Amino acid sequence: MTAPWAALLVITSLPYRFLQAVFLDQLIELRGNASHYGHLLGATANMIVATVLVALWGRAVYARACRLAMARGAAPGRAAWRVPLAAFASYVLTASVVILAGYISLLTIVGFAVTVMFAGLAIGTMELNERADIFNPFRLIGRYARTVTVPLALVLVFFCALLVAFVNLAASFNLGIWIASAIGGFDAPRWPLLFGMSNRRFLLMLFAGAIMIVEPFWIAAHVVFVRKAGAEESGDDLRAWFAELRRAS
Amino acid sequence: MSTVTLARCAIHAERPAFARCMSCSKMLCQECATQWDGIWHCAACLGAKRGKRAERSPAASWIGVAFVSLIFLYLGARVMVWTGALIAGLF
Repeated sequence: MTAPWAALLVITSLPYRFLQAVFLDQLIELRGNASHYGHLLGATANMIVATVLVALWGRAVYARACRLAMARGAAPGRAAWRVPLAAFASYVLTASVVILAGYISLLTIVGFAVTVMFAGLAIGTMELNERADIFNPFRLIGRYARTVTVPLALVLVFFCALLVAFVNLAASFNLGIWIASAIGGFDAPRWPLLFGMSNRRFLLMLFAGAIMIVEPFWIAAHVVFVRKAGAEESGDDLRAWFAELRRAS
Repeated sequence: MSTVTLARCAIHAERPAFARCMSCSKMLCQECATQWDGIWHCAACLGAKRGKRAERSPAASWIGVAFVSLIFLYLGARVMVWTGALIAGLF
């Protein structure tokens, strides 16, 4: 039901992920001299920040589409485009804090995992923000982070999914090359070099691709989690069950 | 189960209840119940909720949110470079 919206998510994330891969490539190229190339890295970082806003909008639309599809049990239609401005502004705020926290905690594995958990809750709780407020989005995230086991389990599951997606993507590229040369009759001696594991740019692109494959499921999982947790908290799940029972009787 | 089947709409007593308003817990018939975002509401509660949503956030809140977001995005870009250079320097 949300497949077209997943495509939108991928398209809007594409520049952001591509530039992240470019940034990492520059760092690997520069290595110890990276500190002398602040302007180059800073320019790429600025471009990443510009593209992240587009990526956040794509995520917001996709999250809304997921929520509407779940509530209606049908394709969300044009309503998915109408992301409330207050919700989107709150999401930009929480995402910017999470991005900063992510870079600070990059070297600490646990800290980074917790940041990823908060990033998931930020998109999950986005639409619960009905007004523009600096503190309320964080209060909401904190409320849903109380049941810490489920969001952390989601981080673990999606980390494994990321590895699986990476391996599958690499395998499908190699399979494509094999089919092109063995069955298609294309003589492409450079392809194994370009699409081989020894090419770091290909590896970075594979990693970016794996993230983009997993991202729609990650967002959908958090939207469902927030919705379910909210329903349990408000008793809405019992009401829905009660209504179902009544209809059946 | 018998009490459940006997439940009546709070507005139309002659009609059997179909859903319960999530806000005021009134029983509602099919005509009175409206689902919004997957949750059943009566007309009064839905009206109140929609009216509340229509309230605008103060301009200061918007400016505050935009300003704080920009600050964090700017810091994020700077920290990205610093952390990247630090990690790259390790290898």
